[in-house]
Amino acid sequence: MSSLSLPASGLAGHRAMALIEARRMARHPVFLLGAGLGFVVLGLYVVLVDDATGLVVVLSLPLLGAFYIGLASVIAAALLTRSTEVAVEAVATAPGTEARRTLALAATGIPPLVAGLVYTLALVVLAKVIGVAPQEWWFGTLPDWQVWSIVLQCPVACLDGALLGVLAGRWLRFRGASGVLVVALIVVTLLGQAPLLDTASSEWRLWVPWALWHTGDNPDGTQTLIAGNPAAYLGYLLALGALAVLGAMWHDRTARTPRFRAIVGAVTVAAVALFVIAATTGARDNRDSDPIPSRVSS
Amino acid sequence: MSAVELAGVGKRYGRVRALADVDLAFDCGVTGLLGPNGAGKTTLLRIVATSIAADSGEVRLLGRDPHRSQADVTAVRRELGYLPQELGYPSDMTAFGFLEYVAVLKEWNDRERRSQEVRRVLEAVGLADQATVRISRLSGGQRRRVGLAQALLGDPRLVVLDEPTTGLDPAQRADLRRTLSALGRRSTVLLSTHQTEDVAALCERVVVLAGGTVRFDGAVTDLVATAVGRVWLANEPGEDALVSWRTGTGRHHVVGGTPPVGADPAEPTLEDAYLLMLGHDAHRVHSPS
Repeated sequence: MSSLSLPASGLAGHRAMALIEARRMARHPVFLLGAGLGFVVLGLYVVLVDDATGLVVVLSLPLLGAFYIGLASVIAAALLTRSTEVAVEAVATAPGTEARRTLALAATGIPPLVAGLVYTLALVVLAKVIGVAPQEWWFGTLPDWQVWSIVLQCPVACLDGALLGVLAGRWLRFRGASGVLVVALIVVTLLGQAPLLDTASSEWRLWVPWALWHTGDNPDGTQTLIAGNPAAYLGYLLALGALAVLGAMWHDRTARTPRFRAIVGAVTVAAVALFVIAATTGARDNRDSDPIPSRVSS
Repeated sequence: MSAVELAGVGKRYGRVRALADVDLAFDCGVTGLLGPNGAGKTTLLRIVATSIAADSGEVRLLGRDPHRSQADVTAVRRELGYLPQELGYPSDMTAFGFLEYVAVLKEWNDRERRSQEVRRVLEAVGLADQATVRISRLSGGQRRRVGLAQALLGDPRLVVLDEPTTGLDPAQRADLRRTLSALGRRSTVLLSTHQTEDVAALCERVVVLAGGTVRFDGAVTDLVATAVGRVWLANEPGEDALVSWRTGTGRHHVVGGTPPVGADPAEPTLEDAYLLMLGHDAHRVHSPS
């Protein structure tokens, strides 16, 4: 039986297994710590950094949620994935295959996704309530779908963090693997896009798992919105998440059926296509805001 | 057709031969596997539990060849309960949570029925009142019983238990015997153990393995009968005895060799018969080639 052609009873079993994994993630201390820190830092940001011009750099703040919730989810999901392996001999001789267990582990992404959505909602509500500087209020100068695509990058990155953790849990067996992965993720994200941000080819930064769309305050008081299509990039991130799950399922040799290989191929093609669309459509050039006098560096 | 049929089964780990040309068949009832460390007991049980494949020979479980297709192995696993020799547990799970997880893997999809089944097996192993306690906080014996409980989920037709009594106190072992004897009336139960008294108390049949081969396969009483006339109680240890020790009464229990002067014949136990069956091999860890 292919791991992907589940009978009706198999689907019910999958739902039950997924529910268990989602519940375990929601109670995992590393995830709770990350989510807690994300909201605390957002709160501090609002309380301490608020000034007369309103909430600052709204389009950069999704990064905080992705950093705390998403990166904590990488570690928590990897630990959860590894945790049932201590019982592997008993678990592996049950009818459910490793691939099905892995697919259920994808549900560990649900709590981070929800946390990311709540974070985004809080961000939008705070921006609405506190108000933002006109120069920063990109909602007025960009189509709504672009703004929402940027702010929704936070929950999608939180989801992807957990899915990446599942992938790491299946393949990386050394102690501290998820920590190493988090560091590697940060390094790749920074080095993969920093050299391109100020160039005419800034849209090609979009291959990284967290692309910057907004620079925050520049020394001259301006802020820069960076080129590319954020909606297609959101699709690219979702495709990367799907690839992480499929890559984790690939660990089970019995899952590597022709149909499964075809799905992996199709999702890979979709990811590449979405990346190309993200880089070649949307805003062609970086756009600078008007200077905000209070933000000019002395 | 037997529930478990092994014909000419062999298994090697690199240069080490774990099983060689083993022919065995098991039906309903409880069968004990005895043998020194490295005898091949765990390898045999892992093959029957579909955890590993034999290198040679034929394996049929519940009428199917588990290595023919994924469908066959899945069908066997639906009716299999397996307690491995060493079983770890996720640190964040309670006894109930772990069993529920395994129950889901065993396709207990209906939530209400799944909960009932988990409660049933927890009751069967005497852990009903520890259901909500994290497994990491349970004692070694209690953890072993959680492992046993997961093997009993769904009342499987084929139950494979690798040293189920490890870490259990006498009362817990007695409870386990009661549970397994009831199970053996309708299922095929294979268990390996170093506790010969468990085999004597529980099993109709015993298989003695050494060096990856079957040394004895028959009724427990038949194995015990092989030791009649070769066990004594004496005032001094036997000079050429296979093994002898001073008992609590002050007399020496002498197994094998020639009877010391003034020795009285003693009723042999399964352990005596096992030691005599294996001779000096009983004391050796096998690493056969």
